[in-house]
Amino acid sequence: MEFRPRNYTTDNASHALPRVRADAHPLSAPPPPLAQLNVAVDSGNADFFDPLRGGADNDAKATPLHHRNLSEAAGDQPMKEWTSFRRLLMQKFPVSKMVSLSSMPDVLMRSGKSHEKSSTSMHLEELDDPQKFADEGAKVITWQEYVSRLHELKDEITRSWLAEDRVTSLKLSIQVAKLMVDTSVFEFYPTLFVLVTDIMDMLGDLVWKRIKRKAEFTEDGALVCNLAENFKASDICADAKETCYNWFSKIGAVQDLLPRIYLELAILPCWRFLLDQPIDSLQRLVMMTRGLGNPVASAYCRLYMAHCAQKLPSHDIGYLVTCVNDLRVILTQTSAANESTRGNFKNNKKFQISLMEPTIEYIMKCIFCGLSQRRINEVLLELGLMENRQNFGTVSCASIVLHHLLKELPIEVVISNVLHILHLIEFNKDSSYDQHLNYRLLGFRLYERKCPVDIVNAVLDKVMQVIAPYESLYAYLNVVDAYADLILQNHMDNHLDIILGGVSERASNGGVTEDEMPGLQSLMVKLLSHFECLEDVFCLDHFPEILDVMHGKSQDVVFLHILNMATSHIRDLTSIQLLFEISQTLHDNMEFMSVKDDDGQVARSVSRFVHTVDYGTEMEHHLAFLVDCRAAFGRFNELKETLVHSSNSLAIQSLKCAKKDLSFFKSCVTFSEVTIPSITGQRQFDLFLETAEVAFLGGLVSHLDGLIDSAIGCLCTVDKIDGFRTPADVEGLVSSIRKLCGFLVMVPGNINLPVTYFPNNLFTLISSQSWFDPKMRTQIFSAILLLLTTLSQKTLPYHANTEIPGNDMLYYGDSSYKQELVSLSKVVLENLICVVQQEPSKTARGSMALEACNCVASSFTLSNEVSSICLTLIETAKSCLSAQDRCLQSTIRLVNKQLPTFAGTMVSTSV
Amino acid sequence: MVLVLALGDLHIPHRAPDLPEKFKSMLVPGKIQHIICTGNLCIKEVHDYLKTLCPDLHITRGEYDEDSRYPETKTLTIGQFKLGLCHGHQVIPWGDLDSLAMLQRQLDVDILVTGHTHQFTAYKHEGGVVINPGSASGAYSSITYDVNPSFVLMDIDALRVVVYVYELIDGEVKVDKIDFKKTSTSLPAL
Amino acid sequence: MSVHLKLSRFNRIYRPSELLEGKIILKTQSSISHYGIRLTIKGSVNLQVRGGSAGVVESFYGVIKPIPIVKRTVEVKSSGKIGSGTTEIPFSLNLKQDENLERFYETFHGADISIQYLLTVDISRGYLHKSLSATTEFIIESDKGDLLQRPISPEMVIFYITQDTQRHPLLPELKSGGFRVSGKICTQCSLSSPINGELTVEASAIPIQSIDIQLYRVESILHGEKIVTETSLILTTQIADGDVCRNLTLPIYVILPRLLTCPTIFAGPFSIEFKVAIVISFQSELSKLHKKSDSRTPRLWLATETLPLELVRAM
Repeated sequence: MEFRPRNYTTDNASHALPRVRADAHPLSAPPPPLAQLNVAVDSGNADFFDPLRGGADNDAKATPLHHRNLSEAAGDQPMKEWTSFRRLLMQKFPVSKMVSLSSMPDVLMRSGKSHEKSSTSMHLEELDDPQKFADEGAKVITWQEYVSRLHELKDEITRSWLAEDRVTSLKLSIQVAKLMVDTSVFEFYPTLFVLVTDIMDMLGDLVWKRIKRKAEFTEDGALVCNLAENFKASDICADAKETCYNWFSKIGAVQDLLPRIYLELAILPCWRFLLDQPIDSLQRLVMMTRGLGNPVASAYCRLYMAHCAQKLPSHDIGYLVTCVNDLRVILTQTSAANESTRGNFKNNKKFQISLMEPTIEYIMKCIFCGLSQRRINEVLLELGLMENRQNFGTVSCASIVLHHLLKELPIEVVISNVLHILHLIEFNKDSSYDQHLNYRLLGFRLYERKCPVDIVNAVLDKVMQVIAPYESLYAYLNVVDAYADLILQNHMDNHLDIILGGVSERASNGGVTEDEMPGLQSLMVKLLSHFECLEDVFCLDHFPEILDVMHGKSQDVVFLHILNMATSHIRDLTSIQLLFEISQTLHDNMEFMSVKDDDGQVARSVSRFVHTVDYGTEMEHHLAFLVDCRAAFGRFNELKETLVHSSNSLAIQSLKCAKKDLSFFKSCVTFSEVTIPSITGQRQFDLFLETAEVAFLGGLVSHLDGLIDSAIGCLCTVDKIDGFRTPADVEGLVSSIRKLCGFLVMVPGNINLPVTYFPNNLFTLISSQSWFDPKMRTQIFSAILLLLTTLSQKTLPYHANTEIPGNDMLYYGDSSYKQELVSLSKVVLENLICVVQQEPSKTARGSMALEACNCVASSFTLSNEVSSICLTLIETAKSCLSAQDRCLQSTIRLVNKQLPTFAGTMVSTSV
Repeated sequence: MVLVLALGDLHIPHRAPDLPEKFKSMLVPGKIQHIICTGNLCIKEVHDYLKTLCPDLHITRGEYDEDSRYPETKTLTIGQFKLGLCHGHQVIPWGDLDSLAMLQRQLDVDILVTGHTHQFTAYKHEGGVVINPGSASGAYSSITYDVNPSFVLMDIDALRVVVYVYELIDGEVKVDKIDFKKTSTSLPAL
Repeated sequence: MSVHLKLSRFNRIYRPSELLEGKIILKTQSSISHYGIRLTIKGSVNLQVRGGSAGVVESFYGVIKPIPIVKRTVEVKSSGKIGSGTTEIPFSLNLKQDENLERFYETFHGADISIQYLLTVDISRGYLHKSLSATTEFIIESDKGDLLQRPISPEMVIFYITQDTQRHPLLPELKSGGFRVSGKICTQCSLSSPINGELTVEASAIPIQSIDIQLYRVESILHGEKIVTETSLILTTQIADGDVCRNLTLPIYVILPRLLTCPTIFAGPFSIEFKVAIVISFQSELSKLHKKSDSRTPRLWLATETLPLELVRAM
């Protein structure tokens, strides 16, 4: 057997495609403006149709707008909002397992099912629960029981209704509505509200349908008329009106105020059967609600009112304005009462207000939804907020109401009335809502749209003045965080100084609590996002001090943000030091606080930082930095890879210098060599190989053999972590092993070692490791064969380092060298042919046979031995693959060309 | 007319911080219809950057790629050409015409694009055309640390391909072109 | 075999000058013969006296002879035969006739006085068979011509309730701390519209428990030489539940219940009057010990203002 001689230089030269200077090329054209593009396309002139520009056009696919039926959507919208609002309400006030009630209403007792027999003629007494004052003392019921009882009641109401026993339905509904009287368990109240109003809505719906049916059909079920969507009271027949009136009378006779209001609200839309302007009833109901002394109960009653009123075809929001005004009075009076109380009771009040907040929020939303500018001004006037424009200080408006008003006001109105609003905030400093939260909200609102600078200035001057005396860092942060964007946007550096100083001062006085951390985090992230360059941020007064007081998760977030800002070369030593410390903190937090780095974000960011560090010509320092990193970030596996890449890169960099410092180069390679073993996983092999390549580029032959040995040695340990291997990993590893063969082409033989030391080692190892399957072995053995063939050439295809002679020089004309190569290649070849036949899968066996055949045909010159091997392999491929297989055909063509005498046999066999 | 950007061996950030600024300013979104990348990007950010240039991105796996899900080889058909993609470190000896031809037979493609050597080359042999776009970032290779950043843009139009070679030499982008046709000889006779 | 009456109006309300119309509905499985089908209209004021007025120890209870308003029988069908199945016999009767005994008072169901109008159908079937009959009540409302000619006074009575307006003892802290509730309420009211008014809690030393509007009927009967008067509660409507905000005006809105109310009457042998009371209950531990039975009993924690209420039938 003889290796086929190759002359790489002439081969390459003869096949190289001719290359000419390109005067114009696709990337030279500047990207045209879009307008121009359209003209070009429209002209339809093919000569001017530039494909590059065409590409831009293709890219700008206009996504078709999703058209909605607006009127339809508008109708459903409030009810959808209500549904989601109810869900949010329940989520906001989760219920504990047990509900402790001040008294157990009969309606909740299962034994209380025995209702008196209803008579068709209804007596008023029956409507009211005679046992009004039930047993005193707290009763405990599980919340599931409560809810399931309410569901049962709902079913009972429906059942009675279907059984034409509407009196019972009404009676039960009254009992259900009465549950809303008990506010003793505050956190349960919103959930109760949702459950009860669901039943109320159902009853209202039933009554509505019944009366509508009465209006549209006769008693016998004959259709009289179809009521239009916007019917008038005059369209309704007397019988239907009578029934409707009876419902209002029956409900009007309910003794207790709260259930009476809820029930009338439930059937509120039915007023349309009697009146064309049912809005008067709404006004009366608003007034009636004032009679509910419990602030929470009355607030939720108004909430239900806002919901029910939306069922009327059109309604003025005047009643809602009255609601808001009443709520203001209630809040003002309760918070005034608050002053004199303390302790537990005060907390209770606070919770009470937090319960009321969603109702205020919802009502405000209802008021300002789709309101015209003119009407907004009227509403503000009706709320009494536009009076005394000259004398702002006298308008009292509970701060929580002001908060939600400010939230809903259109931004133009906010901007045009901003000074007025500031005065309102300043004046309304009551316990219903923290004043600073209103200042905070104003800040956010103003950032919604670009505001005139004079307004921003005026507001900030005022706000700065207001918050200066704040002692609480929490409140201070809440406000400055909201204005930070405005300050940064308008480059108000003096304000920035003041707020940072303010934060720093308060933080150093009392420390930073957990509650304050998110605010601090938000502020810091805003600052960092604003400044593109890290140095600029660190130049800010107080910034480092503030960074120092951060801790916990917020610190991690801010630190990570800072790290991620380091995207371009970091040369500044203090910056490097700072970022290093930040990375160390992040690393240590993981180590000691068991903070999870789920997506490896921290490790990745630290790696990026290490890569970004640039000591320029101070390469010694850079290496020292890498050494420090290795010591500091032991936990990050990925980072250690980074360190190896960096030190290798550093080594290469040192080679490029005019004055080569070989000892430094050696330090880098050594650093890599020492670091790699601590890296887990199969990356070791690639890193050893990279380091070996680098060592070779620098002529460090002494390290070379050791590094290659280590790389091959890795393959033994890879076996031990068998469980971690994915098919992709295995494939990658085989490729890397083949790459090693590519590298070994250049590696010069060592006098102390046999000439085929590495190929032989590799071959032996692969053969002995059972987990290498036939396919992998075929690929690797083919690679070894190709390596041996290449090594046999007079001139090698590539040399990495011209100062180190390759084997072509070392063993020039050495026949024993060639002999060794041949004898090893014989062994490898035998094994290769063997391995191909071991592959169980037919298709795989076919392609493996072709791969081996290609390899053999291009490696050896013609001989009987080679011919028969090729023949066998082709036969195997033929038996496994379709005759149409393109690779099979092209391989046959190759074999015919490389081994001409072989052709006859081939032809004969194929016939 | 279809523009195919072929590039690879960026080794970012291990061996180069980023693509050369001059390249980046030329590569703007919307011009290119396909990107084929031979591998060794190496990090996700580079992948994301390429994706912004053109969403149709094809990548094979280099030995240092962070994302191990890239395949070893990939083929795609653009117009009348079948393209093959492979990083090339597994082709022994590296960049050898015969060995590449072997791979080309396996993949059965008209144009094979491989990398690893960080040197631009373009060969034509009986089986088709073999192109190596070089290293787009000028990263050092297994063979040399003296590397000029380069990439390739192929303008494929019917049976004709114009290969533009962009090479950064001494701070200037030099553009050469190579013109070839898919002739009957390059088509396997049937 | 059954018979029942179905009136032409769903609400069964008729005016004296109108025709009382409807159907006699007879359901039978076999044909029956009868000796005439007769309808009887009967209206009367029923009076009863119970309990004693002040000073009388032993209670007395007695039914006083009813005062007839109308009683008339009309034969709608003379004797004959009715086939099997459902037979409907329409009728139309004049209510008012010249020889009416009394004026048609409006229907009223009170405690001691009840003004009721009944329509009865009788189908006599001779001695061998039990006669069939059915009765239904219909409701009389005044004729338009008899309505109050003057407009209902739009004026309202203004009231103040303070610790000083109460004639019964109050809780000491209430007496000393004081309270003031003001408002206005209509004292002449149309039966078809609610009692309207408003009320404001201006001040109160003790938190308010509840404010209720109570509607009373005052029934008086001439019994021998004496007039026996009984006051009873018809309806309680809560208008404030809990300690309401000071100086927020609350509406008074009470829908008058049908049948239980009627125009105020001063007849010779009897009279029906109404009163409205505003009852303020203050929060007190004491109140919990007593059942909320009769709110007319003066209690330490209650303050009351009672006003006469004239009910009229108006357009």
